[in-house]
Amino acid sequence: MRRRLPAPATRCPLTVVGGFLGAGKTTLLNRLLAGSHGRYAVLVNDFGAINVDAGLIQDHDGQTLRLTNGCVCCSLADGFLDTLMRVLAEPEPFDHIVIEASGVGDPGAIAEIALVEPGLVLRGVVVLADAERLPGLAADPRLGDTLARQIRAADLLVLNKRDLVDEAGRAAARATLAALAPGIPVVETVAAALPAAFFDLGGAGPDRAWRGSTRLRAEAVPHEEAFQRLLYRRTGAFDRVALERALTAMPAALLRLKGRLGLADRPGMHLLQMVGRRWSLSPLPEPAPDAAELVGIAATDPGIGPALAGLLDAALRPPHIPHGDRTRCA
Amino acid sequence: MPSEITLFEARRIITMNPSRPDATHIAVCDGRVLTVGTQAEFDGLDAVADRRFADKVILPGFVEGHAHVMEGTLWRQTYVGAGDRRSPDGRRVPGLRDIGAVVDRLSEADRSIADPDQLLYGWGFDPLHLGGARLTRHDLDRVSTTRPVMVHHASLHITNVNSLLLEMAGFDENTAIDGVPKLPDGTPSGELQGIAARLRLFRGLGYNPMSGTLDAADVARFGAAAQLQGITTIADLHNDLTDATVAVYGAACVEGLPVRIVPALASVSCPPEDGVARIGRLAAASTDRLRFGIVKIVVDGSIQGFTARLLPPGYHNGAPNGLWYVAPEDLDRIVGVYHAAGIQLHIHTNGNEATEAALDAVEKAQIARPRPDHRHTLQHCQMATEAQLRRVKALGLCLNLFSNHLYYWGDAHHDLTMGPERAARIDAAGSAARLGIPLAIHSDAPVTPLGPLFTAWCAVNRTTSSGRVLGPEERLSVAQALHAVTLGAAYTLRMDHCVGSIEAGKFADFAVLDADPYEVPSEALKDVPIHATVLGGRVFTVPPA
Repeated sequence: MRRRLPAPATRCPLTVVGGFLGAGKTTLLNRLLAGSHGRYAVLVNDFGAINVDAGLIQDHDGQTLRLTNGCVCCSLADGFLDTLMRVLAEPEPFDHIVIEASGVGDPGAIAEIALVEPGLVLRGVVVLADAERLPGLAADPRLGDTLARQIRAADLLVLNKRDLVDEAGRAAARATLAALAPGIPVVETVAAALPAAFFDLGGAGPDRAWRGSTRLRAEAVPHEEAFQRLLYRRTGAFDRVALERALTAMPAALLRLKGRLGLADRPGMHLLQMVGRRWSLSPLPEPAPDAAELVGIAATDPGIGPALAGLLDAALRPPHIPHGDRTRCA
Repeated sequence: MPSEITLFEARRIITMNPSRPDATHIAVCDGRVLTVGTQAEFDGLDAVADRRFADKVILPGFVEGHAHVMEGTLWRQTYVGAGDRRSPDGRRVPGLRDIGAVVDRLSEADRSIADPDQLLYGWGFDPLHLGGARLTRHDLDRVSTTRPVMVHHASLHITNVNSLLLEMAGFDENTAIDGVPKLPDGTPSGELQGIAARLRLFRGLGYNPMSGTLDAADVARFGAAAQLQGITTIADLHNDLTDATVAVYGAACVEGLPVRIVPALASVSCPPEDGVARIGRLAAASTDRLRFGIVKIVVDGSIQGFTARLLPPGYHNGAPNGLWYVAPEDLDRIVGVYHAAGIQLHIHTNGNEATEAALDAVEKAQIARPRPDHRHTLQHCQMATEAQLRRVKALGLCLNLFSNHLYYWGDAHHDLTMGPERAARIDAAGSAARLGIPLAIHSDAPVTPLGPLFTAWCAVNRTTSSGRVLGPEERLSVAQALHAVTLGAAYTLRMDHCVGSIEAGKFADFAVLDADPYEVPSEALKDVPIHATVLGGRVFTVPPA
C-alpha cells in the first residue's frame, strides 16, 4: 500500500484572508479575481456575493466559478475540507490558493494547514478590519474575543473603509489594532483597494521562476496613490543571519516584498516572499548571477526607500557595488 | 369495499390525549387511529381483533426530535464507545471500559475485513468514561501495522490513528502544530485535532471517510436503530439536503421503513434566501413518511468541547470563551429571513450567550414580522438561565433539551465546565415545565445513544455516570418526561396534529412496552423493554436484546 503521498513538485502559496463580517473580505476577493494575472484558486464562504464581470465567466456550476483568466472560485458551503481537498487534487496546479476565513472564523487555524501540507507554503495571513466599526467591535463583550483572535493571527492588517472615519476615528482604529497586534504592519484602504500588485508582485505567477520584470503594472485602481512601489537592486550575496535580522526589522509601512537574491552560504538563487511580517526564502532552480533584485510595495512614506535600502545593505556581503538606481519609487 | 379495521388490545394504553388518557383498545383503519376506548365501547364493531399486545402497555410511538442520520452511517463501522448500544440489526453491543477492550474489538473487526488496505474505522470512543485513559498509536498498532486504523471520539472532533496512518498523513517528530500532540519521546501520539491535522489525515487516506453521499442502507440503518428504541418519528436535524440526498430519502422512506423521518435543512449550506426557496420546493415533496420544511441553525459549539459561548462568569475552569459558528448580527438576518417566510427554525445553542443571541434574534424577527405559533425551537439550550427561560416563554419558543448530557457529561460539567451551581441547572427541564414552555428532550444520536426511555430516565433522575444527582429541583415527573418524548417532541416538529398521541384521526404509530412505565420505579425507567412498534398500523417487532 502507498504509505506516503508523493512529494509535491512545487509548493503552492497559500494566503488566508480573514476579518469580521463586513470588513471587506468579499470586496477584496472580487478585486483579486477580476484583476488576477495568474491561476488562482479562491475559496469563499459567501459564494453569492462573488461578483465578477460576466464576460470573465467561463463556467459556473453553482459551487465553482471558472474564469477566463484562469482563476477558479469555489464555495466552501460544501464543507471546508472537501472543497480544499478538491482544489489540491486539481491536475493542473494553481499559482496561488487564497482561502477566505468566515466572518467569525479564526484565520490562524486555516493558516496552520500550510505548516503540515507539503504542497502548500504560507504566503501570509491578511486580516481586514472595518475602520468605523473596529473600536466598537473590539469592546463588545460578545464579539471582542472573536475579533481579537482574528487580528492576532494577522501578518498584515488592512484597515479598510478609511473614508468612513475622520482623523479621530482613524486614530482610534489604529490604536485598537496596535493594542491587539503590536508591530504588525497596517495598510489603510478604501473599498479594500490594496494595490493591484499586492498579490501579483511582478512575474507571471508568484512562485514561478522570477522573470526579472521590474516594471510593475500601473493599474487604474482608486486610492492607489496611497502606495508606493520600491525597487532594490544590488550585486553581492546576503549573509543569511543578517538578512533575517533585517527582514525582522523592516518598517511597518512595508506591505509586500518579493524578489530573488543570493545567500553567501548557499549555492544558487533564492526567492524571497514577504507579506507584512511573514517572510520565506526558497531555492530557485537557476544559477546565481551574484545579484539581488527585490520589488516592494509600501504605504506612502518618503523615508521608507532609504530605510529599506539601509537595512538590506547592512546584510549584504561584498562585492557590494551599488549600480543603477538605488531605490526608487515607481 | 370498506377497509379492514384492526382492533388492538393492550393491558394499558397511555394515550397522551388529556381528555382520554387511558384506554385498553385501539381501532386502526387505513394506517390511522379510528377510535380509542375500552372493550365495552367496541362491542359490535366489525374488526379483526389483534390480541398479541394484550399483556403489553402501549404508548404513542416515541418522537426523537434531535438526532442525525449519521447514526445510520456510523454503524457501517466499528463501535468502540463506553456505553452499551444496540446496533440496527438488534445486537446488543456492549460498552468498552478499558483500552484493552477497545483494541480487542478493533482487532476482531480487522480480521473480518478482507481488503488488507481498507480503512478500519472505530467510532464513539470517549476517554472521559475510561478514567481519562488515552489511546495512542501504540495501542492501535496492536490492531494493525499494515492497515490504516482510525478511531473517532464521541465528540467527533478528535481522532486517533495508528502509526501507518500517521506516516500516510506525513506526521512525524518534525510536525509542529498543536493538533498533533507528541509522546514523551517526541513522536506523534496518534491523536489528531483541528482542520489542519484532519486535512492531512484525509489527504493521506485519499478521501474523507466522514463525508460522502448518503445511501439507502444508511437510511435503513437509521430507521432500524430508531425502531429498536420505540421511535416512530425521528428528526435528522442537520442536513445539506443536496438533490442526491433528497433522492435517497425519497426512495428509502416508503412502506417497510419503520419510522417517519423529518430532515432539517442546514442553514449553513446556503444563504437564507436560497434556503427559503429550497424549503418551498422540498415541502412539496413531503409525504406521510418524509417531512421536509424545517431549518437548523448552529450558533455555537459544545460545552464539553469548551466551544460553547457562555455569559460571565464563563467556564468554571477558566477556559477562554468558545466560538460563534454564526455571528449574532448574521443570526439576526438569517432568523429574520426564514421567520418572515413562515419557516420554522431549530436553533442550536449550547452556551447561554448563544441562547441570548438566539432570543434577541427571534425577538427582533417577531417585532419586524409578528407571527403567531411560529414554534421556533431552541435545541440543546443546555445552560439557559431562569431569566432566559422566561424570555423563551414570552417569545413563544419551544425547547428541546439535551437531557442525555446529564448522564454522559454531567460529572465533567460539575467538575470542569460549569461548576456545581450551574451544573445543577444544566438542561433545566423542571424550570421549563414550571414555566409552561413546550418541551422535548433528546439524544442527539450518534453523539449519545438513541433511546427515548433512557432520555426520559435522565430527565427524571438527573443522575450522572458516577451516580451524582445534578439539581434534583430540575427533575421531571415520569408523566412529564413521557410527554416530552411523545407529544412534546411532536409539537416542536409541528407534527402534534398527526403523531405524538393516540387519538382518533392520527397516525397509528405506537411504542409497545413490556412493562408500565408508571409502575416501575423511576430509576428503572430506562430498563423497560421495548417489545414492538407500530407505524401506520403495521407492526414491527423488536428482537430481544
